[in-house]
Amino acid sequence: MPQGDYIELHRKRHGYRLDHFERKRKKEAREVHKHSERAQKSLGIKGKMIAKKNYKEKVQMKRTLKMHEESSSRRKVDDEVQEGAVPAYLLDRETTTRAKILSNTIKQKRKEKAGKWEVPLPKVRPVAEDEMFKVLRSGKRKTKQWKRMVTKATFVGPGFTRKPPKYERFIRPSGLRFTKAHVTHPELKCTFNLEIIGVKKNPNGPMYTSLGVMTKGTIIEVNVSELGLVTPGGKVVWGKYAQVTNNPENDGCINAVLLV
Amino acid sequence: MAQYDFKKITVVPTGNDLIDIVLSRTQRQTPTVIHKGNAISRVRQFYMRKVKFTETNFTDKLSKTIEDFPRVEDIHPFYGDLLHVLYNKDHYKLALGQLNTARNLIKRIREDYVKLLKYGDSLYRCKSLKRAALGRMCTVTKRIGPSLAYLEHVRQHMARLPSINTGAPTILICGCPNVGKSSFLNKITRADVEVQPYAFTTKSLFVGHTDYKYLRYQVIDTPGLLDRPLEDRNIIEMCSVTALVNLHAAILFFLDLSGSCGYSISQQAALFHSIKMMFRNNPVLIVCNKTDLQTLEGLSGEDLKLVMEMKSAALDVLLTMSTITDEGVMAVKNAACQRLLDQRSERKMKSKKMPTVLNRFHVAMPKPRDQKERPVCIPQAVLEARAEEAAHEERKTEKDIENENGGAGVYSASLRKHYILADDDWKLDILPEFLDGHNVYDFIDPDILQRVEELEREESAVEEDGGDFEIEDEDFTAEAEKDLQEIRKRKKLLIQKHRIKKSTAESRPTVPRKFDKDRKFTTERMGRQLSSLGIDPSRAIERARSRSVSRKGRKRERSVGGDGEDEMEIDGGLDNKKKLRLRSRSIEGFKDSAQKMKAVTMARNATKKRNKDARRGEADRVIPTLRPKHLFSGKRSIGKTDRR
Repeated sequence: MPQGDYIELHRKRHGYRLDHFERKRKKEAREVHKHSERAQKSLGIKGKMIAKKNYKEKVQMKRTLKMHEESSSRRKVDDEVQEGAVPAYLLDRETTTRAKILSNTIKQKRKEKAGKWEVPLPKVRPVAEDEMFKVLRSGKRKTKQWKRMVTKATFVGPGFTRKPPKYERFIRPSGLRFTKAHVTHPELKCTFNLEIIGVKKNPNGPMYTSLGVMTKGTIIEVNVSELGLVTPGGKVVWGKYAQVTNNPENDGCINAVLLV
Repeated sequence: MAQYDFKKITVVPTGNDLIDIVLSRTQRQTPTVIHKGNAISRVRQFYMRKVKFTETNFTDKLSKTIEDFPRVEDIHPFYGDLLHVLYNKDHYKLALGQLNTARNLIKRIREDYVKLLKYGDSLYRCKSLKRAALGRMCTVTKRIGPSLAYLEHVRQHMARLPSINTGAPTILICGCPNVGKSSFLNKITRADVEVQPYAFTTKSLFVGHTDYKYLRYQVIDTPGLLDRPLEDRNIIEMCSVTALVNLHAAILFFLDLSGSCGYSISQQAALFHSIKMMFRNNPVLIVCNKTDLQTLEGLSGEDLKLVMEMKSAALDVLLTMSTITDEGVMAVKNAACQRLLDQRSERKMKSKKMPTVLNRFHVAMPKPRDQKERPVCIPQAVLEARAEEAAHEERKTEKDIENENGGAGVYSASLRKHYILADDDWKLDILPEFLDGHNVYDFIDPDILQRVEELEREESAVEEDGGDFEIEDEDFTAEAEKDLQEIRKRKKLLIQKHRIKKSTAESRPTVPRKFDKDRKFTTERMGRQLSSLGIDPSRAIERARSRSVSRKGRKRERSVGGDGEDEMEIDGGLDNKKKLRLRSRSIEGFKDSAQKMKAVTMARNATKKRNKDARRGEADRVIPTLRPKHLFSGKRSIGKTDRR
């Protein structure tokens, strides 16, 4: 419905300007030079952004050119036969393996007993105590230094009540308490925002595990009822382990990878 | 009722553009320098400020957009329906809602991260938190990218809608496609709508304005309607239906009597009866167009009956006109305007406000003082002037002649008619332009006759004198002859000298006077000049000679009694001349050893610099790298990089 078609109407009635096409062509030709001038003259962050964008385009262009080049050249096809290859009519019939088919749950239980896990991040940078805790001075003359404040992300659980402040040794500030984690499924490659059920193990020590501190490499248990996973037996899986893959205190969020 | 101005909505940037704008603003308008060594509270404050600033900017921009766009419920139902027809109310609301949620999300992100920043104990941690916060805000904005694009599209579209004042007196033109609605609009207003023989040439509402009794009426032209149920109508027809339903206007229903629009009268009548419902209280006039093709009287019986039925349904008003021949067009317009005016005044009278307004009016009639008659009085001069003007014949202008002879393209006025020439026969003469390969105009001189006369006069004067002006040689004597030669020679010399003087420094060597090549300035010359003045030149010559330095250098005079004395005697009384004889070979060329020492030091100082530059000698001017990169690269924030 807009009435911006007055331009087309005018063109229909009176035609184009006498030099319209020439001007258009020349303007487009000048664009190239203007682009280059802008790229050369811009200073500071703007110049850097333009340079970045141009570089990306250049890379794209090089890639497409290479692709085109590849298809135009012809190469000898390698049709070597692998050693030991046997035609189909000579293949043996499949032998049956007699092995116990163990269910996934039993395997997990055995692993749990052994205490060995296959995790995405096997090695993690150790976190020193002075990095983990901040010393708080207390007392009338501020001389007592037995209180510690945790400086990393923590999880406390829904039924948590603090100990009386006078006896509280480790302070977990509420600003650093997290309840949800962004968990990625390694095969599906999609991320879900799942609730944390608890902290299973912190590689830096059992003390941190009991405090509920979550650093990089910590194994946490998350509520996966959203995913709708079902055991072969028919039961609904609602908790799974995941490993934290980032530094939550630096990013403000917990990113984890589901351990399948 | 307000005039809606959708043109004032601010431009909605795309998702990426919005991110760029806000981030570059943050970078420019917040402090940029912070160090690891600064106090931790300062570091925290620095980063918190950035997070807050970014959030404020995002929120401001999104809020501005959300508020600028009109809310479909709050505006006049005509515009509300129009927006729904064009943009789908639901989609529109959803897009705005998405913007709103994005705004809230960004606010929440800011709160969370500002809280976290309070626990930041190192610069790196605070920096990472700020980066995470800004990144999250940008992700949110990226996600609403499609909504922003849609809203920008809507905004552009809305800005080009015709500005219809819903409260102003309006005339609405409706009917089947191709009946002549747009041509009618072109006739009574200055609108220039496209008129074409195919249906649905008009694809939207067009507005024109016309005047009647000092009031401005808007005339709205609608796209043609087809006879189908409401659900089947397309967007174009829905536009005209919206206008019909929501606007209070005088409705002109157009009928094509000839059927050249492609629809018979029965079809048009059916359409009329189906949209009768939408007319409600509006005054309706049936207008029969294209009477030049088919008049009302010439219609067949059934058609006439249908037309009369329509007329009875619509206020009993039937008008005929033809837009091509212009007959009846003004009558239709006047009738429509009058009806509308009557209805509006009636309404106003009935409204509650009228008595209050009426009370304020009071028409005062002056009471007649006496029974004397006071007729109109026009001065005699004015009456005479009027009579003269009426009797005065119109002068035939060039324009009238042009119109008589065929118009602007056919007749070209002869501008030569009014030339003022000595002989009137010359007016239509053709002037030649070329003669013998030359332009005649180059040789035309307007004063030629005058000059010819002058010349003739001179010649006659000369002839009277009897003529020769040449100089005879026999008049001169031999001495005069010699003098003449002398004068000529001197003159030539002077001219030559003057020429040399005038030549610029580039063309002639500038030798200072000291070394005058011509050796003009000699003491003899001075002596001659002084003696010519009457002064004894000998002393002056002596003085000049004693002070001059000849080109060979200062002559070393031998001392008067120097032959027999001891040569090594160095006495203060002895003058320099003795010392000079005593100098050794090592200070050859110099006045004394001090001078030589000075010369040697100067030479060493010069070579020092050259050696440092690794130059082989005085004349070594080699530049190993003509344009070193570190001197020739880089940008300037202001100005050109022409010189380095």
